Amino acid sequence: MKRILYFIFILLLIFIFGKSCIKADIPESNTFSSANAEAEQEIDYPKSPRNITINNIDYLQSQAPCGNYGGELISSIIGEGPKTFNPFTATDATSSEMGSIMYDGLFTTNAVTGNIVPKLAKSYEIKGNDYIITLRHGIKWSDGVPITAEDVLFTWNDIVFAGLGNTSVRDMLIINGKLPTLTKLDDYTVKFTLPTQFAPFLRQLTLPIAPKHYFTQKPDWDKNFDTFLSTTTKPEEIVSSGAFRLKEYVAAQRVVFKKNPNYYEINLKRQRLPYLEKLVFLIVGDFNNEILKFEGGELDVIGLKGGTVALYKGKEAKSDYKIYNLGPDTGTMFAAINMNTRKNKDGKFYVDPVKQRWFNDRNFRAAIDYATDRNNMVINVAQGIGIPLFTAESLNSIYLNKNLKGHSKDINLAESYLKKSGFYKDSNGILHDKYGNTVEFNLYTNAGNTEREAVCVMLKQDLEELGMKVNFKPLEFNSLVNKLTNSYDWDLMVMGLTGSPLEPHSGKNVWYSTGSLHLFNQRPAGKPATDKLNFEKELDDIFDIASLKVNFAERKKYYDRYQEIIYNEKPLIYLYSPIRISAIRRKFGNLFPSSLMGLTYNIEEIFVKNTEETK
Amino acid sequence: MKLLKYILKRIFQVIPLLVIVSVISFFIIRLSPVDPLAELKLNPSISQEVLQKETRRLGLDKPIIVQYGLWAGSFIRGDLGITSSGEKVSVKIKERAFNTLILAFCVVFMTWITGIPLGIISAVKQNSAIDRLLMVLASVGMAVPSFFFAILLLIFAVKTGWFPVGGLTSHNFSDLSLWGKITDMAHHLVLPVTVLFTISIAGLQRQMRANMLDVLDSDYVKFARAKGLSEFKIIFKHALRNAINPLITLLGFEFAGLLSGAALTEYVFQYPGLGRLILEAVMKSDINLVMASLMIGSIMLVIGNLIADILLLITDPRIRT
Repeated sequence: MKRILYFIFILLLIFIFGKSCIKADIPESNTFSSANAEAEQEIDYPKSPRNITINNIDYLQSQAPCGNYGGELISSIIGEGPKTFNPFTATDATSSEMGSIMYDGLFTTNAVTGNIVPKLAKSYEIKGNDYIITLRHGIKWSDGVPITAEDVLFTWNDIVFAGLGNTSVRDMLIINGKLPTLTKLDDYTVKFTLPTQFAPFLRQLTLPIAPKHYFTQKPDWDKNFDTFLSTTTKPEEIVSSGAFRLKEYVAAQRVVFKKNPNYYEINLKRQRLPYLEKLVFLIVGDFNNEILKFEGGELDVIGLKGGTVALYKGKEAKSDYKIYNLGPDTGTMFAAINMNTRKNKDGKFYVDPVKQRWFNDRNFRAAIDYATDRNNMVINVAQGIGIPLFTAESLNSIYLNKNLKGHSKDINLAESYLKKSGFYKDSNGILHDKYGNTVEFNLYTNAGNTEREAVCVMLKQDLEELGMKVNFKPLEFNSLVNKLTNSYDWDLMVMGLTGSPLEPHSGKNVWYSTGSLHLFNQRPAGKPATDKLNFEKELDDIFDIASLKVNFAERKKYYDRYQEIIYNEKPLIYLYSPIRISAIRRKFGNLFPSSLMGLTYNIEEIFVKNTEETK
Repeated sequence: MKLLKYILKRIFQVIPLLVIVSVISFFIIRLSPVDPLAELKLNPSISQEVLQKETRRLGLDKPIIVQYGLWAGSFIRGDLGITSSGEKVSVKIKERAFNTLILAFCVVFMTWITGIPLGIISAVKQNSAIDRLLMVLASVGMAVPSFFFAILLLIFAVKTGWFPVGGLTSHNFSDLSLWGKITDMAHHLVLPVTVLFTISIAGLQRQMRANMLDVLDSDYVKFARAKGLSEFKIIFKHALRNAINPLITLLGFEFAGLLSGAALTEYVFQYPGLGRLILEAVMKSDINLVMASLMIGSIMLVIGNLIADILLLITDPRIRT
């Protein structure tokens, strides 16, 4: 009898515990369809901020509606948090983001048009190869020291051109082996002189400007540059120019910024921005934890993915958040085909010669392209929150070639391409090349990335329709990178790369035939390419010439052509772009989400509404 | 004097152990195909020059034996080196060690303060209702996987809003008063401590019960009873001192696990402790950080055992001879 009582008691305990954890299923009607994802919200963007001089101080005046002061915005960063607060040594996205909050550049990007607009600089003038930049009078660093031409000179000459820290910007600006020169005209005017016209130059001036008096306070500052402004720096001593300055950094927990009282941007009532008192970034380990924190009300803004979008869209009407569509992602996902025909040091081919013949056959690549069902991937993998991608530039790029419309899956066309090159199916439906070899190859992607794994499975099925035998092998990320950059022994690979929607030249490492990420035909570093394919030659020329064209329309013609080449030659078969969806609490005002810059790029203008306004 | 000699001898025994542990772990990590620079290599905006600079900075261009020699040399000099992202390892560990210690001490304190009495009760009242109930609870505690239990509690926190969702402090922690800080931390600690407490109390309680039963069954306890000593005196003066000896050895091991034992729970609760740091370091093959944590782990294990042995020397006169 006692035993039975215990038994019932325990069952009851388990039941109560289980019940509290079960959540009612979301009704079918709430499912988010792809049609919703594509519907753009109408956003009434304010005019670009303009210059205004009051009492001899050149302010930047925000044209957005005036808001209330006070409050905080709590955002999150996934991963381990920043590795440094020095924007010049940062190599990862999180550290760069933290740096860009504290340090403004001479220019910034207009969120709507993608044009370069003044930030720390007041104006600029281009005379041939000279860029004359006028700075603002009377603006100050957070410690009250004026921002002058000396700081600009220091940043560019002593840090960037001297090769300290992350030298990516410097390496990009080496034009014909020469660096631009920078001279001071007076305390508020500087002049960059380029060896030749170079279109990507102006955009590089969005690089933060460093406070000279702070960076050089120790005598051997340049030797210790890599450890300067590390995460152990005392927050109160950091001198910055951005809307916010560092308040505290707690390892693995959060980064807190507080407003910079000396910020040089004002609102229409001529009061100093920013509105928010604090800007908090919680450091969360993974996406699931981020979701839980948002649910628990500890986060104000969150980027949503796949299935969660449907869940949140369904609950949006009754909730205190609003969902914004930020448009296609700036990264690209593609299936790369290894066209390498070289031998390694031991005289062995990187890729089996039989496979080389297939992969270097444009018809074979076209067959793969036409057999790929991108719509199916969008629906099943991205849960409708994506758009098929056919171009090397991402869908929100200002250089996107809109004439490349793409195509849907066409298995007959794919088969006719194969037939052209003598491929044939045997009685068992297995594909052979004209020499009778069975078409069988490996498909790699990084294990653990569930999205890419799912894409691979679908791609494998699509290709098997053509009779190809595809062995899908998910590999640990590091081994995969080793294959790409070192051993080159792969066939097909589904990968993704981050990209810039504003500057195609930042992809030069991928497209130049000697580039360090020239995935589809990688050559060892430091060796000249003597065996360029025809389209590789043309790409090299296009990237060389386009970087010299300063006029946008003229430049775009070249980048249109490069996308067309990739589209025709198909060394990389682009798959789809996920759409970025973000949810943010309704209490925030002045939200002008943009596909180029995201949701909170105008953090100095964002404010917390009064409670009545929220409703 | 004898005690001192014993301690010194034990400390010298540690040195070959540390060498072996370091060699094995260093080579296993380095020979695994994990590349600390993999992520940088796939970033189109990172130039070849940056990659070469990073390779040199991390010493990846040297043969593995040389790398080990460099590491061991600086370790002996007390320099733990830098992480793959350029921060000092000692600083990183210091940032996290305190948090882990708080969590570990809360758990150890709670388990011992409740586990021992519960063990005694169930031994003394063997086969009674309370003994059975404790046994069921212990089985549940042992059976529930910590990872799963932690996730359940997290969902519980989100649904009810009674507890914060992970972390150790709120975002406005630095603006709180001293009392506010303490309650804020305690509030955050409740759930992770509950998980770890549930897991470890089950074992401890059962162990204590078994030891106690053994001792209660022994001749000298029967003799004490026959002598007419009060039950209280029998249990706490005679039985307990003997029953607790094996648990002191257990305490030694627990000490070793203090800094690294709760990685899984820390990960689920996003607790800013050492366990999570090490887990992330292993994933990235951040060799200096992994090595430092492994060394700390080994040293803690040795120290823990040493402390346990010394405590045993004090409590158990039989060992002293």
